[in-house]
Amino acid sequence: MSGRECDDALTQLYHYLDQELEATSLQLIRNHLEDCSGCLRSFDFEYRLKVVVRERLAEDVPDEFILRLREAIARESSTSP
Amino acid sequence: MADQADFERDAMQYTKQLYSAAMRMTRNPADAEDLVQETFLKAYRAYGTFEEGTNLKAWLYRILTNTYINKYRRESRRPSEVDLGTVEDFYLYRRVGSEESAEAARTTEDRVLDGLVEADIKKAVEDLPENFRLPVLLADLEGFSYKEIAEILDIPIGTVMSRLHRGRKAMQKSLWEFAVNRGLVPEGAERP
Repeated sequence: MSGRECDDALTQLYHYLDQELEATSLQLIRNHLEDCSGCLRSFDFEYRLKVVVRERLAEDVPDEFILRLREAIARESSTSP
Repeated sequence: MADQADFERDAMQYTKQLYSAAMRMTRNPADAEDLVQETFLKAYRAYGTFEEGTNLKAWLYRILTNTYINKYRRESRRPSEVDLGTVEDFYLYRRVGSEESAEAARTTEDRVLDGLVEADIKKAVEDLPENFRLPVLLADLEGFSYKEIAEILDIPIGTVMSRLHRGRKAMQKSLWEFAVNRGLVPEGAERP
């Protein structure tokens, strides 16, 4: 990790992973990642971490809760006009 | 205008996501269920005012976070703006990826990413102060855009970006500590 281009790329790393970059910046980053294995590795790591975080935060919803939820909504619909 | 009769079909597909977020907000299943149920009932009652074709998922999350903030927030008597201190950028990667050879670094990276269990990730998120935890959940669990998060939390987009940035760094610091404690990093690695 060194140099001005690398600094620029790393500054925008999260914007890149969050898909918040407009086309021109996106292309600049892609070009840089093709040339710079150091930055590619850090981008890859942060991307994989983001996926791991999302997957491991997901909860299974208890079936009984789904039933209770449907019942609560049904009750609400029968009492509302 | 949306029709209440379509509510189950349209809104309940988001139950799993809303429940996952609610678990990290309230930190326990009973409160998470109450929070999600209250969210759906409020949404059902207001569904007639929901403009069809606009962002239903973001609308539901706005109700969820407002309900949480008003009702369940334990920190309500404390100032809601907590700071996190200074943590360097890419905290985890700078440590995990510091091996001499690219191959050794990749091995350590894989071991850490595979070895951090659900409980570690959940704890790292739950330990974040609320003003950082909500943006991190909305971005990293749900994939909302910065603009959507700003609308859901009713804060400026610049604030979303800075809280997300600092929240993620703090989370990486916790994850590094869990990785060290679980023996996922080589001996001699920098201790937390």
